[in-house]
Amino acid sequence: MGKLEGKVAAITGGTRSIGRAMADAFVAQGATVVINGRDPVKGQTALDEIGAPERTAFYAGDAAKQATVEGMIDFTIEKFGQLDIMVLNSGGVKNTAPVFMMTDEEWNLEIDWNLNHVFWGMRRALQHMIPRQSGRVIVTSSVEGKLGKPGISGYTTTKHAVNGLVKSAAREVGTLGITVNAILPGIIETDIVRETGPESAIAMGLESYDAMIGLFTKESSIKRPNKVEEVAAVAVLMASDAGKNITGCMFPVDGGTMPY
Amino acid sequence: MGELTGRVAAITGGTRGIGRAIAEAFLVEGCKVVINGTNADKGAQALAEIGRPDDVLFVKGDAKVREDCERVVDQAVEHFGRIDIMVNNAGGATNHAPVAQLTDEALDDALKWNLWSTFWCSRKAVNYMIPQGWGRIINISSVEGKCGKPGLSIYVIAKHAINGLTKSMAQEVGTLGITVNSLCPGVIETDIVKEQGPQAAEAMGITYEQLIEYFVEESSTKKVMEVEDVAAVAMLLASEAGAGITGSLISIDGGTAPY
Repeated sequence: MGKLEGKVAAITGGTRSIGRAMADAFVAQGATVVINGRDPVKGQTALDEIGAPERTAFYAGDAAKQATVEGMIDFTIEKFGQLDIMVLNSGGVKNTAPVFMMTDEEWNLEIDWNLNHVFWGMRRALQHMIPRQSGRVIVTSSVEGKLGKPGISGYTTTKHAVNGLVKSAAREVGTLGITVNAILPGIIETDIVRETGPESAIAMGLESYDAMIGLFTKESSIKRPNKVEEVAAVAVLMASDAGKNITGCMFPVDGGTMPY
Repeated sequence: MGELTGRVAAITGGTRGIGRAIAEAFLVEGCKVVINGTNADKGAQALAEIGRPDDVLFVKGDAKVREDCERVVDQAVEHFGRIDIMVNNAGGATNHAPVAQLTDEALDDALKWNLWSTFWCSRKAVNYMIPQGWGRIINISSVEGKCGKPGLSIYVIAKHAINGLTKSMAQEVGTLGITVNSLCPGVIETDIVKEQGPQAAEAMGITYEQLIEYFVEESSTKKVMEVEDVAAVAMLLASEAGAGITGSLISIDGGTAPY
């Protein structure tokens, strides 16, 4: 008997990396899971790899767009009848200009992807969960939701912002059987970090991608990157019945990086 | 095959309340467990209730005494061959008073009970864990390790101090396969809270019921926690998936602490 038997989850992103590890872990615990991404080919590959066709579906679209986030939630409810676990996981570094050179357009790209996407998804999901007096909202934030690094101000700003959103929303729905939490992973060498990392490294004044990974791991206690499975295990706990009294929590999975 | 098969845990306290719930959660996953307490009758009763005589050992001892703390760790190694998971759970405080009237003895007692016991057991246990390259130290702190309440300073001080120990120690052993974390639960109506709560409430100038309500009102869930909530997180930290979580002060408080 899995810990998430009969539950339905939606995960923005989810074809690869953290979201995918959560999808795998949720399916292993008996849940039905809808994943999302821009590329239908990667979506189909992910579904094939997960290998539970009756309990998985893919919703194509850019999570930085309101229509995608809301459409995914509506699709999930229509297809599987309910939404118990909303994981707002998509996100990343979109621009690397220092603040004094940042354009409004670049800034808004990050706001839409990392913050507005979480707001849109949380609002839609809560509208479904509140009448049911049951639900879990899990936001993939970051160690940079508490700290800050040069050259990625849009990322650190939006990750701080979603932590604020989580704290307020948790208080709004705390008595309604709904928890709202953030997971704050340290650096993980996901596909998206490998893609955007080289540019981030330059923006941070570092000579290489490896130097950036080195900077993050040096700040940690374990002196290594974290793993997607470590984040997924926390998501399962939050999503399960055992997580019912954890809410408004900034849960670090950062190998001992943040001091608070 | 449980998630903790082959592992050995020691838990200060553990006959009742949070420690007991952690012991039971670990046992379900195949762990051997040492529990501890000052009262042999309560120890025997806990063993009888748990009903796994081959997998559980009770070690009588007072967490406020160094030799007793160290014996809990040594007994785990002697009886079960190793120690993998140290749960520093014993704690509490009596003779609460506002700082203006607080006695040296009350603070000293609270520090012995909460902080020194955690330090003594952690130091002893980590010396076994370092050579084996694997370990988990789980400190039962409190929401009061992050926040503060009037009249309860001895408890607040001791729990904040444990969180400091957690942060330093985590960095010392971070590359050695050993994690050190604090769990910060909100109020739970355990036996010990029921016993000590009335005096704590008195120091705050309120009743026990008002004390519980004080904590509940600050939460988002507007209810008290349950021991199983804490045990589930302890289980996660103790498992392989917990390897990447260290130096963390994890709130299990129904949405109370702001960070």
